[in-house]
Amino acid sequence: MKNRFFLVVATVAAVALMTSCGKVPQANIDAAVAAIDSAKTMQADIYLPGDFAALNDSLTVINQAVEAQKSKLFKNFKDVKVKADALAVVAGELAGKAVVKKDEVKAEAETLMTQAKALLEENKTLIAKAPKGKEGKAVLDEIKGEVTVIETSLTEAQTIFDAGTNYMQVLDKVKAANEALTAINTELKDAIAKVRR
Amino acid sequence: MRGSLIKKLVYIILISVFLGLLGWLFIALIPEPPLTELEQASRAVSQARDNNSVIYSARLFREAQSYYDSAMTSWQTENNRFILFRDYERVKMFAALSQKKAAEARKNTIVRANGMRLSLETETARLNAEIAAFEKVFLSLPLPQETVKKHARGKLLLREAEIDLNKGQYVSGNVKVTEANEYISSSYTYARKILEDYYTGYNRWQELVRATVDESRMSGSYAIVIEKIPGLCHLYHAGKKRYTFEAEFGSNWIGDKVNGGDMATPEGRYEVTKKLSGGSTKYHKALLINYPNKQDIEEFKYRVQNGHLPSDARIGGLIEVHGDGGKGGNWTEGCVALRNNDMDVVFRHSKPGTPVTIVGSTITLEEYLSAGK
Repeated sequence: MKNRFFLVVATVAAVALMTSCGKVPQANIDAAVAAIDSAKTMQADIYLPGDFAALNDSLTVINQAVEAQKSKLFKNFKDVKVKADALAVVAGELAGKAVVKKDEVKAEAETLMTQAKALLEENKTLIAKAPKGKEGKAVLDEIKGEVTVIETSLTEAQTIFDAGTNYMQVLDKVKAANEALTAINTELKDAIAKVRR
Repeated sequence: MRGSLIKKLVYIILISVFLGLLGWLFIALIPEPPLTELEQASRAVSQARDNNSVIYSARLFREAQSYYDSAMTSWQTENNRFILFRDYERVKMFAALSQKKAAEARKNTIVRANGMRLSLETETARLNAEIAAFEKVFLSLPLPQETVKKHARGKLLLREAEIDLNKGQYVSGNVKVTEANEYISSSYTYARKILEDYYTGYNRWQELVRATVDESRMSGSYAIVIEKIPGLCHLYHAGKKRYTFEAEFGSNWIGDKVNGGDMATPEGRYEVTKKLSGGSTKYHKALLINYPNKQDIEEFKYRVQNGHLPSDARIGGLIEVHGDGGKGGNWTEGCVALRNNDMDVVFRHSKPGTPVTIVGSTITLEEYLSAGK
Protein backbone atom coordinates (compact mmCIF):
# COMPACT_ATOMS: atom_id res chain seq x y z
CA MET A 1 0.00 0.00 0.00
CA LYS A 2 2.80 2.29 1.01
CA ASN A 3 4.80 1.35 -2.16
CA ARG A 4 1.83 2.04 -4.44
CA PHE A 5 1.39 5.44 -2.86
CA PHE A 6 5.04 6.34 -3.54
CA LEU A 7 4.74 5.05 -7.12
CA VAL A 8 1.73 7.31 -7.77
CA VAL A 9 3.48 10.32 -6.20
CA ALA A 10 6.64 9.69 -8.24
CA THR A 11 4.64 9.36 -11.49
CA VAL A 12 2.69 12.57 -10.84
CA ALA A 13 5.92 14.42 -10.00
CA ALA A 14 7.64 13.13 -13.16
CA VAL A 15 4.67 14.12 -15.35
CA ALA A 16 4.49 17.54 -13.68
CA LEU A 17 8.21 18.04 -14.23
CA MET A 18 8.01 16.96 -17.86
CA THR A 19 4.98 19.09 -18.68
CA SER A 20 6.30 22.19 -16.91
CA CYS A 21 9.52 22.14 -19.00
CA GLY A 22 7.88 20.82 -22.16
CA LYS A 23 5.70 23.80 -22.99
CA VAL A 24 6.82 26.42 -25.55
CA PRO A 25 7.22 29.75 -23.69
CA GLN A 26 5.13 31.49 -26.33
CA ALA A 27 4.35 34.48 -24.15
CA ASN A 28 8.06 35.12 -23.63
CA ILE A 29 8.79 34.71 -27.35
CA ASP A 30 5.90 37.04 -28.22
CA ALA A 31 7.26 39.59 -25.78
CA ALA A 32 10.67 39.40 -27.47
CA VAL A 33 9.09 39.82 -30.92
CA ALA A 34 7.07 42.78 -29.65
CA ALA A 35 10.24 44.34 -28.22
CA ILE A 36 11.98 43.93 -31.61
CA ASP A 37 8.98 45.53 -33.37
CA SER A 38 9.13 48.36 -30.89
CA ALA A 39 12.86 48.85 -31.60
CA LYS A 40 12.02 49.02 -35.31
CA THR A 41 9.33 51.59 -34.60
CA MET A 42 12.04 53.62 -32.88
CA GLN A 43 14.02 53.32 -36.15
CA ALA A 44 16.76 51.15 -34.66
CA ASP A 45 17.06 49.59 -38.14
CA ILE A 46 18.07 53.03 -39.50
CA TYR A 47 20.19 54.42 -36.68
CA LEU A 48 21.72 51.20 -35.29
CA PRO A 49 21.43 48.74 -38.20
CA GLY A 50 24.15 46.34 -36.98
CA ASP A 51 22.61 45.95 -33.52
CA PHE A 52 19.15 45.60 -34.99
CA ALA A 53 20.32 42.81 -37.31
CA ALA A 54 21.82 41.05 -34.27
CA LEU A 55 18.35 41.08 -32.62
CA ASN A 56 16.87 39.30 -35.61
CA ASP A 57 19.69 36.77 -35.55
CA SER A 58 18.92 36.06 -31.89
CA LEU A 59 15.26 35.56 -32.72
CA THR A 60 16.26 33.10 -35.45
CA VAL A 61 18.34 31.14 -32.92
CA ILE A 62 15.35 31.05 -30.53
CA ASN A 63 13.01 29.76 -33.25
CA GLN A 64 15.53 27.08 -34.12
CA ALA A 65 15.87 26.12 -30.46
CA VAL A 66 12.08 25.82 -30.14
CA GLU A 67 11.87 23.43 -33.08
CA ALA A 68 14.93 21.53 -31.86
CA GLN A 69 13.21 20.92 -28.52
CA LYS A 70 9.97 19.98 -30.23
CA SER A 71 11.90 17.35 -32.15
CA LYS A 72 12.96 15.66 -28.91
CA LEU A 73 11.12 13.08 -26.86
CA PHE A 74 11.75 14.91 -23.61
CA LYS A 75 11.30 18.62 -24.32
CA ASN A 76 12.93 21.30 -22.27
CA PHE A 77 12.25 24.95 -23.15
CA LYS A 78 13.99 26.42 -20.15
CA ASP A 79 16.88 27.67 -22.23
CA VAL A 80 14.48 29.11 -24.83
CA LYS A 81 12.63 30.99 -22.12
CA VAL A 82 15.86 32.46 -20.77
CA LYS A 83 16.98 33.47 -24.25
CA ALA A 84 13.60 35.02 -25.14
CA ASP A 85 13.56 37.04 -21.92
CA ALA A 86 17.11 38.23 -22.54
CA LEU A 87 16.23 39.18 -26.12
CA ALA A 88 13.24 41.21 -24.93
CA VAL A 89 15.50 43.09 -22.54
CA VAL A 90 18.18 43.73 -25.19
CA ALA A 91 15.56 44.82 -27.73
CA GLY A 92 14.07 47.20 -25.19
CA GLU A 93 17.50 48.66 -24.50
CA LEU A 94 18.18 49.00 -28.21
CA ALA A 95 14.94 50.91 -28.69
CA GLY A 96 16.18 53.37 -26.06
CA LYS A 97 19.63 53.58 -27.68
CA ALA A 98 17.99 54.19 -31.07
CA VAL A 99 16.13 57.17 -29.64
CA VAL A 100 19.39 58.54 -28.21
CA LYS A 101 21.25 57.94 -31.49
CA LYS A 102 18.44 59.55 -33.47
CA ASP A 103 18.62 62.60 -31.21
CA GLU A 104 22.40 62.71 -31.71
CA VAL A 105 22.08 62.53 -35.50
CA LYS A 106 19.31 65.12 -35.37
CA ALA A 107 21.49 67.44 -33.29
CA GLU A 108 24.44 66.90 -35.66
CA ALA A 109 22.23 67.58 -38.67
CA GLU A 110 20.87 70.69 -36.98
CA THR A 111 24.37 71.98 -36.15
CA LEU A 112 25.60 71.31 -39.68
CA MET A 113 22.49 72.96 -41.10
CA THR A 114 23.08 76.06 -38.98
CA GLN A 115 26.72 76.11 -40.06
CA ALA A 116 25.72 75.71 -43.69
CA LYS A 117 23.18 78.52 -43.48
CA ALA A 118 25.73 80.81 -41.83
CA LEU A 119 28.30 79.92 -44.50
CA LEU A 120 25.70 80.54 -47.18
CA GLU A 121 25.00 84.03 -45.87
CA GLU A 122 28.73 84.74 -45.42
CA ASN A 123 29.39 83.62 -49.00
CA LYS A 124 26.65 85.92 -50.29
CA THR A 125 28.34 88.82 -48.51
CA LEU A 126 31.76 87.79 -49.79
CA ILE A 127 30.45 87.60 -53.37
CA ALA A 128 29.54 91.28 -53.14
CA LYS A 129 33.05 92.10 -51.92
CA ALA A 130 34.89 89.78 -54.31
CA PRO A 131 37.34 91.35 -56.75
CA LYS A 132 36.75 91.13 -60.45
CA GLY A 133 40.16 90.07 -61.62
CA LYS A 134 40.85 88.28 -64.89
CA GLU A 135 37.76 86.23 -65.73
CA GLY A 136 36.47 87.38 -62.35
CA LYS A 137 32.94 88.05 -63.51
CA ALA A 138 32.58 84.62 -65.10
CA VAL A 139 33.89 82.95 -61.96
CA LEU A 140 31.56 85.03 -59.80
CA ASP A 141 28.62 84.10 -62.02
CA GLU A 142 29.56 80.45 -61.60
CA ILE A 143 29.84 80.87 -57.83
CA LYS A 144 26.50 82.67 -57.68
CA GLY A 145 24.91 79.80 -59.64
CA GLU A 146 26.51 77.29 -57.31
CA VAL A 147 25.35 79.15 -54.21
CA THR A 148 21.78 79.23 -55.55
CA VAL A 149 21.86 75.48 -56.18
CA ILE A 150 23.26 74.81 -52.69
CA GLU A 151 20.55 77.00 -51.20
CA THR A 152 17.92 74.86 -52.97
CA SER A 153 19.61 71.70 -51.72
CA LEU A 154 19.58 73.06 -48.16
CA THR A 155 15.88 73.83 -48.49
CA GLU A 156 15.29 70.21 -49.56
CA ALA A 157 17.37 69.02 -46.59
CA GLN A 158 15.30 71.25 -44.28
CA THR A 159 12.10 69.67 -45.62
CA ILE A 160 13.41 66.15 -44.88
CA PHE A 161 14.61 67.37 -41.47
CA ASP A 162 11.19 68.83 -40.63
CA ALA A 163 9.51 65.57 -41.66
CA GLY A 164 11.81 63.80 -39.15
CA THR A 165 11.73 60.51 -41.06
CA ASN A 166 15.44 60.05 -41.70
CA TYR A 167 18.03 62.40 -40.25
CA MET A 168 20.84 60.28 -41.75
CA GLN A 169 19.69 61.38 -45.21
CA VAL A 170 19.70 65.01 -44.06
CA LEU A 171 23.23 64.56 -42.70
CA ASP A 172 24.57 63.34 -46.07
CA LYS A 173 22.91 66.18 -47.96
CA VAL A 174 24.06 68.88 -45.56
CA LYS A 175 27.61 67.48 -45.42
CA ALA A 176 27.87 67.79 -49.21
CA ALA A 177 26.44 71.31 -49.09
CA ASN A 178 28.84 72.27 -46.31
CA GLU A 179 31.85 70.95 -48.24
CA ALA A 180 30.81 72.93 -51.32
CA LEU A 181 30.14 76.08 -49.29
CA THR A 182 33.48 75.79 -47.48
CA ALA A 183 35.31 75.43 -50.81
CA ILE A 184 33.53 78.54 -52.14
CA ASN A 185 34.23 80.41 -48.92
CA THR A 186 37.96 79.62 -49.14
CA GLU A 187 38.03 80.58 -52.83
CA LEU A 188 36.35 83.91 -52.14
CA LYS A 189 38.47 84.71 -49.08
CA ASP A 190 41.68 83.88 -50.97
CA ALA A 191 40.64 86.11 -53.86
CA ILE A 192 39.84 89.01 -51.51
CA ALA A 193 43.09 88.52 -49.55
CA LYS A 194 45.16 88.57 -52.77
CA VAL A 195 43.74 91.94 -53.71
CA ARG A 196 44.45 93.39 -50.25
CA ARG A 197 48.12 92.27 -50.33
CA MET B 1 8.61 -20.73 -1.59
CA ARG B 2 12.22 -19.81 -2.27
CA GLY B 3 12.03 -21.24 -5.82
CA SER B 4 8.98 -19.17 -6.62
CA LEU B 5 10.75 -16.01 -5.41
CA ILE B 6 13.72 -16.71 -7.67
CA LYS B 7 11.32 -17.37 -10.53
CA LYS B 8 9.60 -14.00 -9.89
CA LEU B 9 12.95 -12.22 -9.78
CA VAL B 10 14.02 -13.76 -13.09
CA TYR B 11 10.71 -12.69 -14.68
CA ILE B 12 11.16 -9.17 -13.35
CA ILE B 13 14.72 -9.00 -14.72
CA LEU B 14 13.65 -10.39 -18.09
CA ILE B 15 10.72 -7.94 -18.35
CA SER B 16 12.99 -5.07 -17.32
CA VAL B 17 15.59 -6.01 -19.91
CA PHE B 18 12.85 -6.34 -22.55
CA LEU B 19 11.35 -3.00 -21.63
CA GLY B 20 14.81 -1.44 -21.58
CA LEU B 21 15.57 -2.83 -25.02
CA LEU B 22 12.20 -1.61 -26.25
CA GLY B 23 12.89 1.88 -24.86
CA TRP B 24 16.36 1.92 -26.38
CA LEU B 25 14.93 0.86 -29.74
CA PHE B 26 12.27 3.57 -29.50
CA ILE B 27 14.83 6.25 -28.73
CA ALA B 28 17.17 4.97 -31.42
CA LEU B 29 14.40 5.21 -33.98
CA ILE B 30 13.69 8.90 -33.23
CA PRO B 31 15.18 10.88 -36.15
CA GLU B 32 17.93 13.37 -35.37
CA PRO B 33 16.62 16.99 -35.63
CA PRO B 34 18.24 19.06 -38.44
CA LEU B 35 19.51 21.74 -36.06
CA THR B 36 23.07 21.87 -37.45
CA GLU B 37 21.82 22.30 -41.01
CA LEU B 38 19.43 25.07 -39.98
CA GLU B 39 22.12 26.81 -37.95
CA GLN B 40 24.50 26.72 -40.91
CA ALA B 41 21.79 28.07 -43.23
CA SER B 42 20.81 30.91 -40.91
CA ARG B 43 24.47 31.82 -40.40
CA ALA B 44 24.98 31.94 -44.17
CA VAL B 45 21.88 34.13 -44.60
CA SER B 46 23.09 36.48 -41.85
CA GLN B 47 26.50 36.76 -43.45
CA ALA B 48 24.91 37.51 -46.81
CA ARG B 49 22.74 40.18 -45.18
CA ASP B 50 25.76 41.69 -43.42
CA ASN B 51 27.72 42.04 -46.65
CA ASN B 52 24.77 43.96 -48.15
CA SER B 53 23.45 41.18 -50.38
CA VAL B 54 19.98 42.65 -49.74
CA ILE B 55 21.14 45.57 -51.90
CA TYR B 56 23.61 44.07 -54.38
CA SER B 57 22.17 40.54 -54.87
CA ALA B 58 18.53 41.11 -53.96
CA ARG B 59 17.12 38.17 -55.96
CA LEU B 60 19.61 35.60 -54.66
CA PHE B 61 19.23 36.88 -51.12
CA ARG B 62 15.43 36.66 -51.35
CA GLU B 63 15.75 33.08 -52.59
CA ALA B 64 18.10 32.19 -49.71
CA GLN B 65 15.69 33.71 -47.21
CA SER B 66 12.73 31.98 -48.80
CA TYR B 67 14.45 28.55 -48.71
CA TYR B 68 15.31 29.14 -45.06
CA ASP B 69 11.68 29.96 -44.27
CA SER B 70 10.59 26.83 -46.13
CA ALA B 71 13.06 24.78 -44.08
CA MET B 72 11.64 26.16 -40.84
CA THR B 73 8.04 25.61 -41.99
CA SER B 74 8.83 22.02 -43.00
CA TRP B 75 10.51 21.43 -39.66
CA GLN B 76 7.44 22.73 -37.83
CA THR B 77 5.20 20.47 -39.97
CA GLU B 78 7.33 17.41 -39.26
CA ASN B 79 7.35 18.18 -35.55
CA ASN B 80 3.56 17.98 -35.55
CA ARG B 81 3.69 14.34 -36.69
CA PHE B 82 4.17 11.29 -34.44
CA ILE B 83 7.78 11.29 -33.30
CA LEU B 84 8.76 8.08 -35.08
CA PHE B 85 7.15 9.11 -38.37
CA ARG B 86 9.08 12.37 -38.72
CA ASP B 87 11.27 12.80 -41.78
CA TYR B 88 13.64 15.79 -41.89
CA GLU B 89 15.01 15.19 -45.39
CA ARG B 90 12.99 18.05 -46.95
CA VAL B 91 14.02 20.33 -44.10
CA LYS B 92 17.65 19.48 -44.74
CA MET B 93 17.20 19.96 -48.49
CA PHE B 94 15.69 23.46 -48.02
CA ALA B 95 18.40 24.35 -45.49
CA ALA B 96 21.12 23.26 -47.93
CA LEU B 97 19.51 25.26 -50.74
CA SER B 98 19.26 28.31 -48.47
CA GLN B 99 22.91 27.99 -47.52
CA LYS B 100 23.91 27.59 -51.18
CA LYS B 101 21.90 30.61 -52.34
CA ALA B 102 23.19 32.73 -49.45
CA ALA B 103 26.77 31.81 -50.36
CA GLU B 104 26.06 32.66 -54.02
CA ALA B 105 24.51 35.97 -52.95
CA ARG B 106 27.56 36.77 -50.85
CA LYS B 107 29.96 35.94 -53.66
CA ASN B 108 27.89 37.84 -56.19
CA THR B 109 27.70 40.82 -53.83
CA ILE B 110 31.47 41.01 -53.53
CA VAL B 111 31.82 41.03 -57.32
CA ARG B 112 28.97 43.51 -57.85
CA ALA B 113 29.96 45.85 -55.04
CA ASN B 114 33.52 45.90 -56.33
CA GLY B 115 32.24 46.60 -59.84
CA MET B 116 30.00 49.38 -58.57
CA ARG B 117 32.80 50.85 -56.48
CA LEU B 118 35.13 50.83 -59.45
CA SER B 119 32.49 52.34 -61.70
CA LEU B 120 31.73 54.99 -59.08
CA GLU B 121 35.42 55.82 -58.66
CA THR B 122 35.92 56.02 -62.43
CA GLU B 123 32.81 58.13 -62.97
CA THR B 124 33.58 60.57 -60.15
CA ALA B 125 37.12 60.99 -61.46
CA ARG B 126 35.87 61.49 -65.03
CA LEU B 127 33.21 63.98 -63.97
CA ASN B 128 35.67 65.90 -61.79
CA ALA B 129 37.94 66.20 -64.84
CA GLU B 130 34.96 67.31 -66.93
CA ILE B 131 34.07 69.92 -64.30
CA ALA B 132 37.65 71.20 -64.27
CA ALA B 133 37.69 71.37 -68.09
CA PHE B 134 34.33 73.12 -68.14
CA GLU B 135 35.48 75.70 -65.61
CA LYS B 136 38.74 76.31 -67.42
CA VAL B 137 37.43 76.33 -70.98
CA PHE B 138 33.79 77.28 -71.01
CA LEU B 139 33.24 79.41 -67.95
CA SER B 140 34.32 82.55 -69.78
CA LEU B 141 31.69 81.94 -72.49
CA PRO B 142 28.48 83.97 -72.23
CA LEU B 143 26.48 80.94 -71.08
CA PRO B 144 22.84 81.18 -70.02
CA GLN B 145 22.36 81.21 -66.23
CA GLU B 146 20.38 77.97 -66.59
CA THR B 147 23.45 76.18 -67.96
CA VAL B 148 25.65 77.56 -65.20
CA LYS B 149 23.08 76.35 -62.64
CA LYS B 150 22.91 72.90 -64.23
CA HIS B 151 26.65 72.65 -63.95
CA ALA B 152 26.53 73.70 -60.29
CA ARG B 153 23.74 71.19 -59.55
CA GLY B 154 25.82 68.43 -61.12
CA LYS B 155 28.80 69.47 -59.05
CA LEU B 156 26.82 69.29 -55.81
CA LEU B 157 25.37 65.88 -56.70
CA LEU B 158 28.87 64.68 -57.45
CA ARG B 159 29.96 65.72 -53.96
CA GLU B 160 27.04 63.72 -52.51
CA ALA B 161 28.08 60.74 -54.64
CA GLU B 162 31.64 61.04 -53.32
CA ILE B 163 30.30 60.97 -49.74
CA ASP B 164 28.40 57.77 -50.61
CA LEU B 165 31.57 56.33 -52.15
CA ASN B 166 33.52 56.97 -48.96
CA LYS B 167 30.73 55.41 -46.89
CA GLY B 168 30.63 52.33 -49.14
CA GLN B 169 27.08 53.12 -50.30
CA TYR B 170 27.76 52.31 -53.93
CA VAL B 171 24.16 51.91 -55.10
CA SER B 172 22.97 55.34 -54.01
CA GLY B 173 26.36 56.75 -55.07
CA ASN B 174 25.86 55.38 -58.57
CA VAL B 175 22.33 56.79 -58.72
CA LYS B 176 23.66 60.23 -57.75
CA VAL B 177 26.61 60.05 -60.11
CA THR B 178 24.26 59.16 -62.98
CA GLU B 179 22.14 62.20 -62.19
CA ALA B 180 25.24 64.35 -61.77
CA ASN B 181 26.47 63.12 -65.14
CA GLU B 182 23.25 64.29 -66.80
CA TYR B 183 23.67 67.80 -65.43
CA ILE B 184 27.42 68.07 -65.95
CA SER B 185 27.43 66.48 -69.40
CA SER B 186 24.45 68.45 -70.66
CA SER B 187 26.01 71.76 -69.59
CA TYR B 188 29.36 70.64 -71.06
CA THR B 189 27.71 69.57 -74.32
CA TYR B 190 25.75 72.81 -74.54
CA ALA B 191 28.83 74.95 -73.92
CA ARG B 192 30.89 72.92 -76.39
CA LYS B 193 28.16 73.27 -79.02
CA ILE B 194 28.25 77.05 -78.61
CA LEU B 195 31.99 76.99 -79.10
CA GLU B 196 31.82 74.58 -82.05
CA ASP B 197 29.20 76.73 -83.77
CA TYR B 198 31.36 79.76 -83.16
CA TYR B 199 34.40 78.01 -84.56
CA THR B 200 32.73 77.53 -87.95
CA GLY B 201 34.23 80.94 -88.71
CA TYR B 202 37.77 79.72 -88.03
CA ASN B 203 38.96 79.65 -91.68
CA ARG B 204 37.73 83.19 -92.24
CA TRP B 205 39.48 84.33 -89.05
CA GLN B 206 42.73 82.78 -90.29
CA GLU B 207 42.44 84.58 -93.63
CA LEU B 208 41.67 87.91 -91.97
CA VAL B 209 44.65 87.66 -89.60
CA ARG B 210 47.01 86.50 -92.40
CA ALA B 211 45.93 89.38 -94.63
CA THR B 212 46.37 91.92 -91.83
CA VAL B 213 49.85 90.65 -90.87
CA ASP B 214 50.88 90.56 -94.57
CA GLU B 215 49.67 94.12 -94.97
CA SER B 216 51.70 95.19 -91.94
CA ARG B 217 54.76 93.38 -93.34
CA MET B 218 54.44 94.95 -96.80
CA SER B 219 53.75 98.46 -95.56
CA GLY B 220 56.19 98.23 -92.63
CA SER B 221 53.53 99.76 -90.43
CA TYR B 222 51.56 98.83 -87.30
CA ALA B 223 48.45 96.64 -87.25
CA ILE B 224 46.19 95.55 -84.42
CA VAL B 225 44.90 91.95 -84.23
CA ILE B 226 42.36 91.11 -81.53
CA GLU B 227 41.40 87.56 -80.50
CA LYS B 228 38.19 87.18 -78.54
CA ILE B 229 38.47 83.63 -77.16
CA PRO B 230 41.81 84.02 -75.41
CA GLY B 231 40.97 87.69 -74.80
CA LEU B 232 44.13 89.13 -76.35
CA CYS B 233 45.14 92.20 -78.35
CA HIS B 234 48.34 91.89 -80.45
CA LEU B 235 50.21 94.82 -81.87
CA TYR B 236 52.17 93.95 -85.02
CA HIS B 237 54.88 96.01 -86.66
CA ALA B 238 56.22 95.18 -90.11
CA GLY B 239 54.56 91.77 -89.91
CA LYS B 240 56.09 90.92 -86.54
CA LYS B 241 54.22 90.63 -83.24
CA ARG B 242 55.61 93.29 -80.92
CA TYR B 243 53.15 93.41 -78.03
CA THR B 244 50.36 91.28 -76.62
CA PHE B 245 47.87 92.64 -74.07
CA GLU B 246 44.81 91.28 -72.30
CA ALA B 247 41.53 92.55 -73.75
CA GLU B 248 37.89 92.64 -72.65
CA PHE B 249 34.80 92.73 -74.84
CA GLY B 250 31.05 93.14 -74.88
CA SER B 251 29.16 90.89 -72.46
CA ASN B 252 27.67 88.95 -75.40
CA TRP B 253 31.09 88.58 -76.98
CA ILE B 254 30.74 85.23 -78.70
CA GLY B 255 29.80 85.71 -82.35
CA ASP B 256 29.71 88.71 -84.64
CA LYS B 257 27.87 91.94 -83.90
CA VAL B 258 24.43 91.85 -85.54
CA ASN B 259 22.80 95.09 -84.46
CA GLY B 260 23.08 98.02 -82.07
CA GLY B 261 22.49 97.17 -78.41
CA ASP B 262 23.27 93.45 -78.78
CA MET B 263 26.33 93.86 -76.51
CA ALA B 264 28.46 92.03 -79.07
CA THR B 265 31.89 93.06 -80.32
CA PRO B 266 32.06 93.13 -84.14
CA GLU B 267 34.33 90.73 -86.04
CA GLY B 268 36.14 91.50 -89.29
CA ARG B 269 38.68 93.82 -90.84
CA TYR B 270 38.39 97.41 -89.61
CA GLU B 271 40.66 100.41 -89.34
CA VAL B 272 41.17 103.29 -86.96
CA THR B 273 39.13 106.31 -88.03
CA LYS B 274 39.84 108.64 -85.13
CA LYS B 275 42.10 108.90 -82.08
CA LEU B 276 40.40 110.21 -78.96
CA SER B 277 42.12 111.37 -75.78
CA GLY B 278 41.80 113.95 -73.03
CA GLY B 279 38.24 115.16 -72.68
CA SER B 280 37.02 113.56 -75.90
CA THR B 281 36.70 110.05 -74.36
CA LYS B 282 35.65 108.84 -70.92
CA TYR B 283 37.79 105.70 -71.24
CA HIS B 284 41.31 107.14 -70.82
CA LYS B 285 42.18 106.96 -74.54
CA ALA B 286 40.28 105.48 -77.46
CA LEU B 287 40.65 104.47 -81.09
CA LEU B 288 37.37 104.74 -82.94
CA ILE B 289 37.03 102.11 -85.69
CA ASN B 290 34.95 102.07 -88.85
CA TYR B 291 32.16 99.83 -87.63
CA PRO B 292 29.83 99.38 -89.45
CA ASN B 293 31.92 98.80 -92.57
CA LYS B 294 30.48 98.07 -96.00
CA GLN B 295 30.13 94.35 -95.34
CA ASP B 296 28.45 94.95 -91.96
CA ILE B 297 25.89 97.26 -93.61
CA GLU B 298 25.12 94.68 -96.32
CA GLU B 299 24.71 91.89 -93.80
CA PHE B 300 22.52 94.08 -91.59
CA LYS B 301 20.26 95.00 -94.51
CA TYR B 302 20.02 91.34 -95.53
CA ARG B 303 18.94 90.36 -92.00
CA VAL B 304 16.29 93.08 -91.85
CA GLN B 305 14.96 92.16 -95.30
CA ASN B 306 14.74 88.49 -94.38
CA GLY B 307 12.99 89.22 -91.10
CA HIS B 308 15.91 88.04 -88.97
CA LEU B 309 15.91 91.49 -87.44
CA PRO B 310 12.92 93.79 -86.83
CA SER B 311 12.45 96.60 -89.34
CA ASP B 312 13.19 99.25 -86.70
CA ALA B 313 16.51 97.60 -85.69
CA ARG B 314 19.62 99.81 -85.63
CA ILE B 315 23.02 98.71 -86.83
CA GLY B 316 24.83 100.51 -84.00
CA GLY B 317 28.22 102.19 -84.07
CA LEU B 318 30.84 104.03 -82.02
CA ILE B 319 32.90 100.91 -81.56
CA GLU B 320 36.29 101.68 -80.05
CA VAL B 321 39.44 100.12 -78.73
CA HIS B 322 39.67 102.01 -75.44
CA GLY B 323 41.21 102.09 -71.97
CA ASP B 324 39.75 101.41 -68.51
CA GLY B 325 40.09 97.66 -69.07
CA GLY B 326 41.39 95.10 -66.59
CA LYS B 327 38.02 94.91 -64.80
CA GLY B 328 37.75 91.22 -65.41
CA GLY B 329 35.09 89.60 -67.52
CA ASN B 330 33.53 91.12 -70.56
CA TRP B 331 31.69 94.22 -69.56
CA THR B 332 31.68 96.68 -72.49
CA GLU B 333 28.72 97.35 -74.78
CA GLY B 334 30.67 96.04 -77.78
CA CYS B 335 33.99 97.89 -77.58
CA VAL B 336 37.42 96.39 -76.88
CA ALA B 337 38.82 97.49 -73.51
CA LEU B 338 42.53 97.42 -72.58
CA ARG B 339 44.32 98.37 -69.37
CA ASN B 340 45.32 102.05 -69.47
CA ASN B 341 49.08 101.32 -69.65
CA ASP B 342 48.50 98.92 -72.53
CA MET B 343 46.18 101.38 -74.22
CA ASP B 344 48.93 104.01 -74.07
CA VAL B 345 51.21 101.72 -76.11
CA VAL B 346 48.55 100.85 -78.68
CA PHE B 347 47.43 104.46 -78.90
CA ARG B 348 50.99 105.71 -79.42
CA HIS B 349 51.61 103.40 -82.39
CA SER B 350 48.22 103.85 -84.06
CA LYS B 351 46.93 106.44 -86.46
CA PRO B 352 43.87 106.78 -88.63
CA GLY B 353 44.04 103.97 -91.17
CA THR B 354 45.81 101.48 -88.84
CA PRO B 355 44.20 98.09 -89.47
CA VAL B 356 42.18 96.61 -86.60
CA THR B 357 41.23 92.98 -87.20
CA ILE B 358 38.92 91.33 -84.70
CA VAL B 359 38.50 87.52 -84.83
CA GLY B 360 37.44 84.65 -82.60
CA SER B 361 40.78 82.93 -82.28
CA THR B 362 43.97 82.03 -84.12
CA ILE B 363 44.25 78.62 -82.49
CA THR B 364 42.05 75.67 -83.46
CA LEU B 365 39.18 74.43 -81.34
CA GLU B 366 41.07 71.20 -80.59
CA GLU B 367 44.11 73.15 -79.43
CA TYR B 368 41.92 75.34 -77.28
CA LEU B 369 40.03 72.41 -75.74
CA SER B 370 43.16 70.37 -75.11
CA ALA B 371 44.73 73.38 -73.38
CA GLY B 372 41.79 73.26 -70.94
CA LYS B 373 42.18 69.56 -70.13
